[in-house]
Formats: sequence, structure tokens, C-alpha cells
Amino acid sequence: MNQAAAVKPAFPDSLSLAALAVAGLLCLPLAYVAYMALTANAAIWSRLWTTRIPELLFNTTALALGVAAGTLVLGVSLAWLVARREFPGRQIWEWALVLPLAIPTYVLAYIYSHLLGTGGPVESAWQVLAGPGSHLLSPHSYAGVTLVMTLDTFPFVYLLARAAFLNLNVSYEEVARACGASRAGTLFRITLPLMRPAIVAGLSLVILYVVSDFGAVSLLRYQTLTYAVYQQITGRYDPTAASILSLLLVVVALIFLVAERWFRQRSRFFQTTGRYRAPARRQCGPLAATLATVYTTGVFAASFGVPACMLAMWSVSAVSSGAVDARFFGFVWNSAFLSGLAATCAVLIGLPLAYLASRRPSRVNLLCLQAAYAGYVLPGPVGALALLAIVSHLAPFWYGTAAVLVIAYVVHFLPAGLQSMEPALQQVTPNLEEASRSLGFGTAATLRRVTLPLVQSGFIAAWVLMFLQSMKELPATLLLRPVGFDTLAVRVWLEASEEYYQLAAPSALLIVIITIPAILLLLSKDWRAA
Amino acid sequence: MPSNEPARQSSNPSHDHRPTVLELRNVSCVYGGDRPAITEISFAAQEGEIVCLLGPSGCGKTTTLRAIAGFEPVTVGEIRLESRLVSAPGHLIPTEQRRIGMVFQEYALFPHLRVQDNVAFGLQHLSSGECAAQVRLMLEMVGLTDLAARYPHELSGGQQQRVALARALVQKPAVLLLDEPFSNLDPDMAGKMREDLHDLLRRTKTTAVLVTHDHDEAFAMADRIAVLNNGRLEQLDTPEAVYHTPSTPFVADFVGQADFIPGTIEHGAVQTEIGIFPNQTGYLSGAQVVVMIRPDDIHIVPAEKSFAHIVARQFRGSENLYTVGLPSGQVVHSSEPSTTVYPIGTPVQLQLNATHTVLFDRHQNHSSAA
Repeated sequence: MNQAAAVKPAFPDSLSLAALAVAGLLCLPLAYVAYMALTANAAIWSRLWTTRIPELLFNTTALALGVAAGTLVLGVSLAWLVARREFPGRQIWEWALVLPLAIPTYVLAYIYSHLLGTGGPVESAWQVLAGPGSHLLSPHSYAGVTLVMTLDTFPFVYLLARAAFLNLNVSYEEVARACGASRAGTLFRITLPLMRPAIVAGLSLVILYVVSDFGAVSLLRYQTLTYAVYQQITGRYDPTAASILSLLLVVVALIFLVAERWFRQRSRFFQTTGRYRAPARRQCGPLAATLATVYTTGVFAASFGVPACMLAMWSVSAVSSGAVDARFFGFVWNSAFLSGLAATCAVLIGLPLAYLASRRPSRVNLLCLQAAYAGYVLPGPVGALALLAIVSHLAPFWYGTAAVLVIAYVVHFLPAGLQSMEPALQQVTPNLEEASRSLGFGTAATLRRVTLPLVQSGFIAAWVLMFLQSMKELPATLLLRPVGFDTLAVRVWLEASEEYYQLAAPSALLIVIITIPAILLLLSKDWRAA
Repeated sequence: MPSNEPARQSSNPSHDHRPTVLELRNVSCVYGGDRPAITEISFAAQEGEIVCLLGPSGCGKTTTLRAIAGFEPVTVGEIRLESRLVSAPGHLIPTEQRRIGMVFQEYALFPHLRVQDNVAFGLQHLSSGECAAQVRLMLEMVGLTDLAARYPHELSGGQQQRVALARALVQKPAVLLLDEPFSNLDPDMAGKMREDLHDLLRRTKTTAVLVTHDHDEAFAMADRIAVLNNGRLEQLDTPEAVYHTPSTPFVADFVGQADFIPGTIEHGAVQTEIGIFPNQTGYLSGAQVVVMIRPDDIHIVPAEKSFAHIVARQFRGSENLYTVGLPSGQVVHSSEPSTTVYPIGTPVQLQLNATHTVLFDRHQNHSSAA
């Protein structure tokens, strides 16, 4: 801190001001929604409280908990299988089980509404077995939505649990065995309790994802807070009611976030020092290997294999019927243009925030960084609502331009980008910059010749991440897009809502295909084959 | 390589009548992985005995310990615990059914459990009252009663080690296995903990196998020391015998400072550059040998017209270790009192105490690991 003060030129002050301004702007939507909701007429509050809110709160919480339970079972059991057991094809499944992350929820939802829907292949097969007229599981039900969201989000838990299984010091397990605990006893009394922080982190990602999801619940018509906010804006043109529901949604998201932080603080285990030894994988017998293969294949097929095949088949017939035309490439361009612009803006905006927080961690600078994370608890429709209100009050001439949409993307996805930019900057020790200064280079030259080349890969990862998320973004795009300016995500949703499954397929398939290499790239950074 | 197989084994009269608790017969383990293999290891431990497995890193001592614990299968030979066959090729009694206790180098205290719950971990089969009583008794014994409700990360290294010990001992194991238990402690603390551990093992009459690479630790703790090198047992003996009558040059070098002076058997004695030594081992005349001699058996006195002179001095607190150069280029070491200081270059005469020397064949593999 003292050293920083000693070499402080005029430049950092303007940087600090810029960071403060950016942080303020990033917080503005959240603040505005809160302001609208809290200044709303009490009658609107009481009307909502007696009609919609109990049902919406119940539905949202029930969905979040149901998906959390499902992903817990799937994610942890699969992680345990690939990390601790050896069976044919284990290495392939180990990375293939991550692929469901490449399918946006609205894509999986529309595929499942076909698969499980009335007259769909699953129901037809079931009726052969159970007799005509019997129904298995409606996609437009709590169970259906829970199934779709679970299949889409279990990789979050799987990834973190797998890393925890691989990184756990095996001495804990060996000493438990020496104390007389059986294999199963060791798993439940030692291994899983020690993995709690990782599992909870995965579950909180899942819950946040579910609470703010719009795509699946809107296509499957399941009433949650996020969906209701969207309906209030579009169907009823009632921004005040929408803002009240939004505030509630933000509070629910915050409660989950705070609970997770609190739990992590409480259960932050300090692994005692010592050498690390990797756990060995146990060879499965023929029966166990068959069961493991059936289980992993089943989960993979349900979450990625079958949906990807459906998309490919539909795309082929859509192409042969001439659906991929100049209009389609227009949507591709719109998506790429908007997402590229948003990702570039977000990197430029995030740079001063991350730089100041890691180099001059004063209270103000850290607060700026924290403020940038506000977008985390701002689900798409809520951010869109805030921007709509702000723009129509302050800058009506911006209304309906692409700029508003780009701002919405930046606010929403900057937190994800910062998580990749921050560690990249922190890994560059200030000594390197000081060495460059001592060799006669100024601040700007040092930044260009030393800092930027070193943080490059972290920033590229951040850009890719934000580009992909912007491209998949649905609710804010639906609400804010300029007239006639459709993106791939919007097309998928519009066609799927009308049950034109084949027309939706090429756009959906393109999104999935673009996402897969990026996911594998981002994973390869901390993927340990062990 | 020891020619006298099985390794020289001195009987310990005081232990003879006690039952054998642990026995390894010709045990070999082979891996594809990174762990060193062990070859034909045989030794036994009587009830209440402390055996140290001593050797450099990669010699197989930890592998031996893990084979006894049942974490590693054996490819040849067998391991018996309390006369029960626990390990043999194709036969592996699971660790939890072996009645062993284990203390890891890093202690591996369960970080999510309090001290008392760590100690109680293996007592699930007892009623809660009995379990609590045993835990209390054990914590008293290791002097941690006040810290029972703490979490492991709130303890010092020494306290963590005592918890790990208590957790292992509370189950009254047939054998307690300790893997480098002092290597994570600073030297002062390690010395104190050694004394405490020795005392505790004696009081509880626990049979223990302790792995270490530190010969001082082995000397302080062990009833008998098994010196391992390259996966083989080089010598199994009392600490005194290992130090004074090492069976191989490797052992001689590993358990303390030693010089090896080449010599030839002539007229029934060993002729060397620094003097004549008795031919205790009965080598034939003309045989090429080396004489192992330790610094405490070489005394130096300054002498005007001497062929040897001081090359270096290392002050070690309680002693001065002198390096003396001989005309042939060979060096020998001498331990002198810490107050005896000679300048470098001083010509000195060597006074030898020839009773503690050991002879080896000159072509015998000196130390493959050193």
C-alpha cells in the first residue's frame, strides 16, 4: 500500500473515478427496480400479495429445491463413479458428462416437450407397454420442468464434486479405514462431509441458475417469479407489478447466495499440511462395470445424446425444406454482432475494476468490484425491466436500439467475466511491473509490454465466456431487441413456442455446436486427468 | 547386499518370552506406479516392542508400512498379525478388520470433526457412555483434555500429533503404525514429542512400527531397527549394534558419519595408510578390504612432522568435526571437543581406537543410494 502511494501518478486517480462511475452504472438497474417496487402503491402490493405471490414463491422454491435434490444425486454419484471407479469407457464419460452445459435450457425444454408431450415418442412407447390412454409424465408439470432443469444443470455439481473427489487427500480415508470404518462408512462419514463446501458451491450455482431461468419455464409454462415478471411486462404492461415481483426475485436469489456464503464460511475446512496423495481408482467387476456403463450412458443420452440427435435430425429436414436461407444467416450475424460487441465492452469495462481491486485493494476499489457482481442477482427479465424504465425516463431516443441490449448483456454477464479476469490479474505479481518500471518503461508501456501479455489468456477466456452467454441470452433479448432484430436464441424460442420444432432446430444446433469447444477450452484449464 | 540372509538378527533376551504380534515372511510388493517396490522383507515384532524402519526416501519403508496396514497387496510372502494371516498373494484382509492403528505424517485429522469426535471415530460399536469415558481417558493420557472441543485447525502441530496418536491408541490396536510422525514438527518440538511418545507406548505396552529417515530418531525410539535400502532389508538389530557393527557399508554410512579406508590383509592384519587394524572377520591374506571407522574413534593431535593435515573444521556446538587430508588424497574425519580449535592446515597425527572398526570387502557395493 505504501509503495503504491509512493509511486502514485495522476493517472490512477482518473482510473479510480472511472471505476467508481462504472460501478455506479452497473448498480443502477438493481437500485432502480428496488426504487420502483418500494415506491409502488400499497394497493398493488396487497393485491399481488393475496393473488400471485404465494403461488409464485412456492413454485420457484419448490423447483429450486427439486432441481437441487436431483442434481445432488446425479452430480455426486457420477463424480464418484468417474473419480473412484475404473470401468470401460470411463475416460470418455468423464468429459462427455460436461456436455449438457452446452444446451441452453430453452432448447432442452423444447426437445423434451416434444419427447414427453402428448403423442410424443416416449408416450407412444409407454402406451405400448401400459395400454392405450395411459400417461407417463407431462413435460408441462412440476415433475417435467424439474427433470429438464436437472438434466441441464447437473454438470455444475458433477464438475465441482469430481474435482473434490480427486483433490481430497487420501490419507483421511485411509486413516478412517484404519479406525475400523468400512468403505461405505468412510464414504458417508468422511469423504462426503469433507466435500460439503464443493457440493454446496455446485448446488448454489444450480439454484441461482434455476431461479433466474426463463427459457425452460416459459416454454413449459410453469409459473415462477422470473416468468411472471416477463408476463407482467409483456402481457399486462404493468411495470410496477413487475418491479415488485422482481424485487422479490432478487431477494430470493440473495437469500440463497447469502446462505451459501454463510455455509462456506462456517465449513471452510483447513486441510492440515502434508503431502498430497491421489486416490486410486478401484477396478469394477463385470457386473459393476455393466451397471456403471448403463447408468452413465443413460444420463448422458437423456441430457445430451438424444437431444443432440433430435436437433441434428430436425436440422437435416429443415435444411432440405429450405429453412436455412438468407434470413437465417441474418440471425446468425445479429447474434454474433450483439454478443461480440457486448463481450468487448464488458472486458474494457471490467479491466479497470479488476485491476484496481487486485493492485490497490482499498475499501472503495473493492466495493466497486463487489458492485459489479450485482448483475448476478439480476435475472434477465429484471435487468430488462430496469433498463426499459430507465431508458424511457432518461433517454427515450435510445429506446429500441441495440445499445440498450448491449448494456443489458454487460450488466448481466460482467460478473462471470470478472471471475476469469480477476485471477488472471492477481497471478501477475506487482514485482514484474515494478521490474519493468525500474528498467525505464512508463506505466502505459509497462501495461502494454508486461501486464497485458501475461493476462491475455485470462481475458480471452472472459471474452469467450461473455460472448457465449450473450449469444444464448433469451429474456432480455426478447424484451429489448430492436424491431425485427432477431437473434438465434430468439428464433429458437419463437419457433418452439409455436411448436415448429424443425424450424427451431438449425438455430439451436448452431448454438450448441459453437458452445461445445468453448466449454471444453474453459474446462481444460483446470482439468486433471489423474 | 547382505550375504548373510536372513539379516543379522541379535536376540533381545528381555523380549524372548513375549508373543509375536506381527510377522512378515519374505514379503515382496511390486507396482507399476510411483511407489518403490520391496523385495523379500522378513521381520517380526514381539508384544510391546518398537521397531523402526529406517532408510532413505524411496527405500520402500513406507511401502512396507502400507503393506502391513493392508493398503498395498503383497505379491510374494505373507504378513501375519496376532498369528492371523492378513496378507498373502491373492489374499487381503481389509484394513478395517486388521486391528491396526495408524498415524500419518500429516496426521490426517478429520477437519470437520472436533478433537473428541476425531478420537471417538473408531469407537462406533460402543455405547455412547462407554465411548465418552474412553475418549476422556485417552485425552487425559495425552494431556489434551482442555482441547477436546476444538477443531483440528485450531491446534499446534504437536497437539495435532497427539490427537492423531490418541485416535489410533484408543482402539487398542494390535500394532500401531507411525509414518514419519515427527517430520512435520520443528526440531525442538520433535525431541520433546519423541520422549512423550516413547513413554506413552511403554505405558500402554503398545507394539509399534515406526518409519523414519532420521537415524537419531530411530536410535531414540527403537528397540530394534530395520535398515532398508532399495527395497531390501540390510540389517535388523538393536540401535547399538546397527551403529557399531553395521552389516553393510550402506548401513554404516546411513546411520552416522563414517570413513572407509582401503587396506590389504597382510600378516594376519589390515595394512592401511593410517595404520594397522585387526582382521576380525578373518579375511584371507592378500584380500582387498575397506576399514569403516567413525569420527569418534579418531583423535587428532598436532604434530610438526606429520603426513596428515587439517583440511576443514565444522563447528557443531557440542563438538568440532575435523576433516583431515591424507597424502593419498583420502580424507578422514575426527570428532574433537568443541573447545579444541586448531587452524586449518595444521599438520596432525592420528590416534585410532581400533576396537570399533568394521571390515568390508572392497568390492562390496558401498552405497547404492548414497
